[in-house]
Amino acid sequence: MTYLMFFLGVCFAVGVLGVASNPSPYYGVVGLVLASVAGCGWLLGLGVSFVALVLFMVYLGGMLVVFVYSVALAAEPFPGGLGDWRVIGCAVAFVAIVFGGLVFGGFMGAWKFGVSTVNNVGVFVVRSDFSGVSMFYSHGAGMFLVAGWGLLLTLFVVLELVRGLSRGAIRAV
Amino acid sequence: MSPLHLSFYSAFIFSGLGLAFHRTHLVSALLCLESMMLSMFVGLSMWSIENQVSSFTMVPILMLTFSACEAGTGLAILVASTRTHGSDHLHNLNLLQC
Repeated sequence: MTYLMFFLGVCFAVGVLGVASNPSPYYGVVGLVLASVAGCGWLLGLGVSFVALVLFMVYLGGMLVVFVYSVALAAEPFPGGLGDWRVIGCAVAFVAIVFGGLVFGGFMGAWKFGVSTVNNVGVFVVRSDFSGVSMFYSHGAGMFLVAGWGLLLTLFVVLELVRGLSRGAIRAV
Repeated sequence: MSPLHLSFYSAFIFSGLGLAFHRTHLVSALLCLESMMLSMFVGLSMWSIENQVSSFTMVPILMLTFSACEAGTGLAILVASTRTHGSDHLHNLNLLQC
């Protein structure tokens, strides 16, 4: 189990590296999907299945799908993927920066293995993540309303940004 | 630092570096912002797991909400600048260049 969590952590970092090395956006979205699947598996391994489910449905199924459709705006005849020397150079340079910083900082015990999870205590208990998120409706009601208001405002912001014609925010033609 | 902490911390740094050294496309920079948000989500969830503070579980959900707002706004800016400039290449956004 420990090695599975370590493998998922490595997959997460490798997927994000695939996004950060700035390939063509068609391939960058693949890296982001891999990273979010690995992150979801990571959260499942730690026991918080509700938060993992929210990540899958809202992030992967909502936001990333919209991103995948929007990369159609980045169409180019020869998309540079992971075989392009510029992309590989970016990836190698970023890994060198992070691990150079680790070596310079003395690793800080990065080789200790230890993961704490949510306890499995049976059926007649409430899981920690379910009970935590349900506090949105009790003590967190103010923040819940603020978040909902923010989402409503974002809807109008997006509408005004893409309206176009003579009243849009960014429009020259 | 345990390996899992190293994993999401280095993922955040990778995405920050990818955002800083962006190359051609605006949507690549937006994807790097999304991966920063993803690593922060995993980090906040791990905080609530490892400290066994169950009420902190609402914080990653809240952050996901505001990140959805930010992603939508970023994509609207992408669409608007593609309509104006014809593509989302960053070297076309040069009106303020001296």
